[in-house]
Amino acid sequence: MVVDEKDSPRWDGITPRLLDAGDVQQKVRCLGGKDVLVDKDDFLWRPEDWTEDLARALARECGIDTLNDLQWQVIRFLREYFFYHGRAPLNRDIKAAVGISLMELECLFPGGIRRGARLVAGLPNPRTCSG
Amino acid sequence: MIYLDNAATTFPKPAETLRAALETYIRMGVSPGRGSYDLATEAEDLVTTTRKRLADFFDAPDPERVIFTGNATDALNIALQGMLTFGDHVVSSRLEHNSVLRPLYHMRQKGVIDYDLVSFDDNGFVRPEEIAAVIKPNTALVILTHASNVLGTVQPIEEVGLVCKERGIPLVVDAAQTAGTIPIDMKSWHVAALAFTGHKSMLAPTGIGGLVLDRDARIELTRFGGTGVDSRSLLHTETYPHRLECGTLNLLGIIGLLESLTFIQKERVESIHLREMALLTRLRDGLLGIKGVELYCADDLTCHVALLCANIRGLNPEDAGDILDGDYGIAVRTGLHCAPLVHESLGTSPHGSIRFSLGPFTTEEHVDRAVAAMSEIARRSC
Repeated sequence: MVVDEKDSPRWDGITPRLLDAGDVQQKVRCLGGKDVLVDKDDFLWRPEDWTEDLARALARECGIDTLNDLQWQVIRFLREYFFYHGRAPLNRDIKAAVGISLMELECLFPGGIRRGARLVAGLPNPRTCSG
Repeated sequence: MIYLDNAATTFPKPAETLRAALETYIRMGVSPGRGSYDLATEAEDLVTTTRKRLADFFDAPDPERVIFTGNATDALNIALQGMLTFGDHVVSSRLEHNSVLRPLYHMRQKGVIDYDLVSFDDNGFVRPEEIAAVIKPNTALVILTHASNVLGTVQPIEEVGLVCKERGIPLVVDAAQTAGTIPIDMKSWHVAALAFTGHKSMLAPTGIGGLVLDRDARIELTRFGGTGVDSRSLLHTETYPHRLECGTLNLLGIIGLLESLTFIQKERVESIHLREMALLTRLRDGLLGIKGVELYCADDLTCHVALLCANIRGLNPEDAGDILDGDYGIAVRTGLHCAPLVHESLGTSPHGSIRFSLGPFTTEEHVDRAVAAMSEIARRSC
């Protein structure tokens, strides 16, 4: 499945909703040669700001000098899925699409699944029950 | 899937109770007590029966003071906002869920009240003497969770009730984690108001809960609207239960609650609890032996509900939850469990922990598979 982010059928303005959510913990950072808006945990506010250079910069900050093929496969899947469905993939979707276990995915990115893979892929910070 | 998130919502529910509730609702899903037709009267009878059964179940003095709400949070909001006024002081604890912490904080920010939160000991229990020690002349309410949704510890409500009774202070109890799994005795524990939800150990559907009041509890109206009674008056109905209920009730939820209550009473609350605690002990013992797993539960599981929290050293609990789900088919709750102060005290903030919570349909095999999964994840954790 290859979906152009701008033409995605479900991509109907998630960014404005995030910005209206009342969270003011935003900051501008220069990542991969580009000024982008990030939140307190360095997740992109606008997933469409993501570039491959930006991913490389975030990966270096996570401790990955060079992203390997499998890591790129994960990143591309996360982004394609997100822009098509309007949300991050289910655990079983990732497993089926990438062909690795969640444990292997955890080890693939030093920050883990959510704060590693998801962050480098430029997906929004998952709103969960943690702080 | 192995479902170990019963402290959030019990799942599955007994299918026969849901089917029975649905059949009744198909037959009489009308506005209870509104209208002059028989079906409305019959529906109201079911609501009244449910109030009576709940009053008996919680040993509450007056079925008319069983108020239906959406859940425990809704009930706690009605209680806190209706029982407190300007200048009041409240005593609560660091064990509380945000269903208590946030309304209290909101009221303090608005300049209505002030409050003190007592801490808990190393085993996760609030000491009644510490509650007594922070009571002030203007303390108007003590509010306490019956069981921590993070530590699982059952609090000494009876002793706290005595502290409150001696000082003439109403005690509000958040029974979200205990109603349906620990017997509750409002009268002898001197509980002024009890908030419960249907969707946890009461085994009812989501969207139904209640606030059960003692006859002496004084509670002002904070919501107004149609009650089906005294409709000419612009004043909201003063008499219970309509005083605190607005609009059409969640009849399907109430019928579901009635059916699930019948199920629980047939199975016996004590028996359900004993069975769940035997499984929790098995889980605790299994996790204790795993290198790299940190446990957050009392040494002695005597005063406990069937949940415990753990972490795998070096692994974000949310990722651990993803791995348990994606690789092992085990559903758990991760994060702060809406009880941030407990995690602050445990040192597990901001990421929280992995919570395993057992239910009436949890089996030994489920527990053993959870232990095996945790063991494997801890071993492979990078």
